[in-house]
Amino acid sequence: MAELTMEEQSRQRPAVFMRFRPAWSYIEGIREFGRFFCQTTFGTPELAERACIVIQEALENAVKYSSNATKEGGELELLIQSDGTTLEISVSSLPDAAHLAQLREELSDLHTLAPEQAYLAAFLRAANEQDKSSRLGLARIRYEGGLEVSLQEQDGGRIRITATGKL
Amino acid sequence: MSESPAFELPKVEGVDVEFVPPNLLKLKGVMARKEPSADVAQLFKHLHRDAIERRLPTFCVDVTGLTFVNSSSIRLFIDWAVWVKGETAHRYLLTFRTNRQITWQTTAFAALSSLMKEVVSVERM
Repeated sequence: MAELTMEEQSRQRPAVFMRFRPAWSYIEGIREFGRFFCQTTFGTPELAERACIVIQEALENAVKYSSNATKEGGELELLIQSDGTTLEISVSSLPDAAHLAQLREELSDLHTLAPEQAYLAAFLRAANEQDKSSRLGLARIRYEGGLEVSLQEQDGGRIRITATGKL
Repeated sequence: MSESPAFELPKVEGVDVEFVPPNLLKLKGVMARKEPSADVAQLFKHLHRDAIERRLPTFCVDVTGLTFVNSSSIRLFIDWAVWVKGETAHRYLLTFRTNRQITWQTTAFAALSSLMKEVVSVERM
C-alpha cells in the first residue's frame, strides 16, 4: 500500500496541514497558529510552547535551505497531528544537495548522544566556533521540544523531517 | 564610576529594550528574526565593553519577559558569555534572570551556566 501523503494523514485525526512558499515571513504566523492549535486541542500551554520551538526550528531550517523555492513543487508542507498519546510535527521540503548532506551528518551526530548531552554539545560547539550560524535547531527540537527527530528522503529530492514524542 | 552606558540603546524589532543603571538590561518580547545579530549583537557588545570600562563586578540580563527566541538569538547569549570568558583585563559575572515557567529560558541558560560556570549565573524567578 502506498504511503499516505502528509495531506492525506491530516484527514485522519485532529491535525493541521499547510502548504506554502518557503519564505521567512510565514514562520511567525504559522508558529503562533501552531501554538494556538496545540493549546486548544491538548489544553496544555507547556506542550504548546514546546510545539512552537519545534515548528520554528524545523521551518527555519527548511526555509534557509530550500534553494528550489521558486520551482514548482518547492513548497514547504507542515503537518501537526496527534493520535491522542503522541504528537507529531513534520516539515517536508525540497532542499539543496549541500544542505541534505549536512542534515544527514548533523542528525547522525545528534543521535549518538542523549538529548541533553547533544544539546550541551551544540552549545559548546557554538561557543567554540567563529561560524555565526547557530546549528542549535535540531538539538533544541529534541531537548527543548522533547521530541525525537528523524529524516525521510522521498522521491523527487524531497525530504521530510519528523519530530515525534509523547504528548 | 558612571551609572549609565555611554551610548544610546538601539531599537530592536520585536523587543523592548530597557537599561536600568547601573548594570541591568531588561528584554521583553520575541527574538526570532532571521538575522538578529545586526542590532542585538551590537547592543550586547556595547554593554559588554561598557561593563569592562566601568569595571562592573556583575551585569544582569533580565529575560523573564522574553517569551520566545530562535536558535540564532540563543547564539547571541552564548557569544556574550564567550566574550566575558575571554576577557583578561576585567572579568565580570554575567547573570541571567529567568522565568522558570518558560521552557527555552530554563533549558538554554542552564546549559550555558553549566558550560561557563565561572562567568555565567542564573536567577530563576
